[in-house]
Amino acid sequence: MIAMDRVSKVFSVGPVKVPALTDVSFRVAKGEFVVLHGKSGAGKTTLLKLLYRTEVPSEGDVEVLGQPLAKLSRRGVAALRQNIGVVFQDAKLLPGRTVYENIAFVLRVLGTPRGEITARTFDALRAVGLHSRARAYPAQLSQGEAQRAALARAIVRRPALLLADEPTGNLDDEMGNEILQVIRDIHAGGTTILFATHQARLATGLRRRVLVLEAGRLVKDDG
Amino acid sequence: MVGFLVGEALRDLRRAGRVAISAIVLIMLSLAAVGSFLLLSGNLGHAVSAWRDRLRVIVYLKQEPSTAAASALARKVEAMPGVAGVRYVSRAEALASLKKTLGKDASAAEHLTANPLPASLEVTPTADAATPEGARRLVERLSALPEAEEVAGGVEWVDKLARLQRLVTLVGLGFGGVLGIAAILTVTTATTLVLHARRHETEIMRLVGAPELVIQLPLLLQGMVQGLLGAALALVALAIAHAFVAPKLVPLMAAALGLGRVDFLPVLQIGAIVVAGAVLGALGGLLARGRVAA
Repeated sequence: MIAMDRVSKVFSVGPVKVPALTDVSFRVAKGEFVVLHGKSGAGKTTLLKLLYRTEVPSEGDVEVLGQPLAKLSRRGVAALRQNIGVVFQDAKLLPGRTVYENIAFVLRVLGTPRGEITARTFDALRAVGLHSRARAYPAQLSQGEAQRAALARAIVRRPALLLADEPTGNLDDEMGNEILQVIRDIHAGGTTILFATHQARLATGLRRRVLVLEAGRLVKDDG
Repeated sequence: MVGFLVGEALRDLRRAGRVAISAIVLIMLSLAAVGSFLLLSGNLGHAVSAWRDRLRVIVYLKQEPSTAAASALARKVEAMPGVAGVRYVSRAEALASLKKTLGKDASAAEHLTANPLPASLEVTPTADAATPEGARRLVERLSALPEAEEVAGGVEWVDKLARLQRLVTLVGLGFGGVLGIAAILTVTTATTLVLHARRHETEIMRLVGAPELVIQLPLLLQGMVQGLLGAALALVALAIAHAFVAPKLVPLMAAALGLGRVDFLPVLQIGAIVVAGAVLGALGGLLARGRVAA
């Protein structure tokens, strides 16, 4: 499902080279739930960006869903992303659209037949327990609800892989647990999960395989 | 998908707000300028064609020939290059024509003791000869006739009218072109504002793997919608101006150019203005599109 082989990423800030990832290698099998743990600035977000190809590695090879990303064309990248769901710490909902429209928007831009859009949107909303809030605008949602809407948007295409970048980072414990439960349910449906968090308690509490990043290096893989 | 793209384009247009309205007004002004000059040029063109058709070279004869000699002379002239037709006008016919032209003042001609008018040949030039150079050669040939006293008629002024028509078209295109460039830049500004306003949508679209065409087409479409609205408004303004001004211009045009009516733009030019509007708008969208691609 995911394979990183000796991957490094260096950002250039003017003449200064800033290493974000150094010599990272790991594999994630189909159907796994893997936690990516590290402090802020450890390289978690950069690693996820390499997987959905908004960044390219400075060195090494990345393979996602059986596809080497190095030689992927622009069209190939778009096709790859259609099979990856991504959620962020910030829900990134479109403020001028309702919850329903935010989720249906994804299906519409991908050319889903009109007849399927409503049913699939409500399926996704039910999966995250937000179907009763379909007509609400993002400003009317709690942070937990907004994050659940973001999850619904990520899974509405039924992706094979879900990348979650600190989805509970802004939430209190109760809301965080709700989101975790939704992600567990999504995993139970067969989706591979890579869950990034800086919260050590959460990383251990999930009782899943944990990859630990420190200053851009993978220092622990208990898988 | 088409409904989605058009919906997004209209949403983008609303986001651009006043800047989009400015762009529409500028497109309207540029196309209305081009349209009004085309309208003027078209009607001048009608006058040029009409006058070229009516163009005659008159050969005044030294003496009135006998009927047989007049027929022979007409046949001889008809055989000359650059001559499409010849009509012999006797002295009596010339006087009758003068009286008809004088109308109520025709009685003045009754006091003449003798007919002062010469017999003549009315020569209709071919299209080739209805140019200044062609007419000069024809006049030379006709002046060489031993029967000719004087040859009158030329096409210089018709040619001047044709040059004026071309000048009007060029001025119109130049004027419209400058306004058109301003319109393109305004559409670009409107589209850039849209780009800023829809950056979150663009981010989400890219993230979920939307094709580039779906991301960029609404930008192009909203530019085209601005252009089409500008073109439609320009045509409406021209039609209203034509309806009000044309009836007042007809007497002037009739007296100056012999035109009985002032026509509106032909269908082809109306189509060209609509297409030009769409192209202006699309160009503005395209210029801004580079930024979303980046």
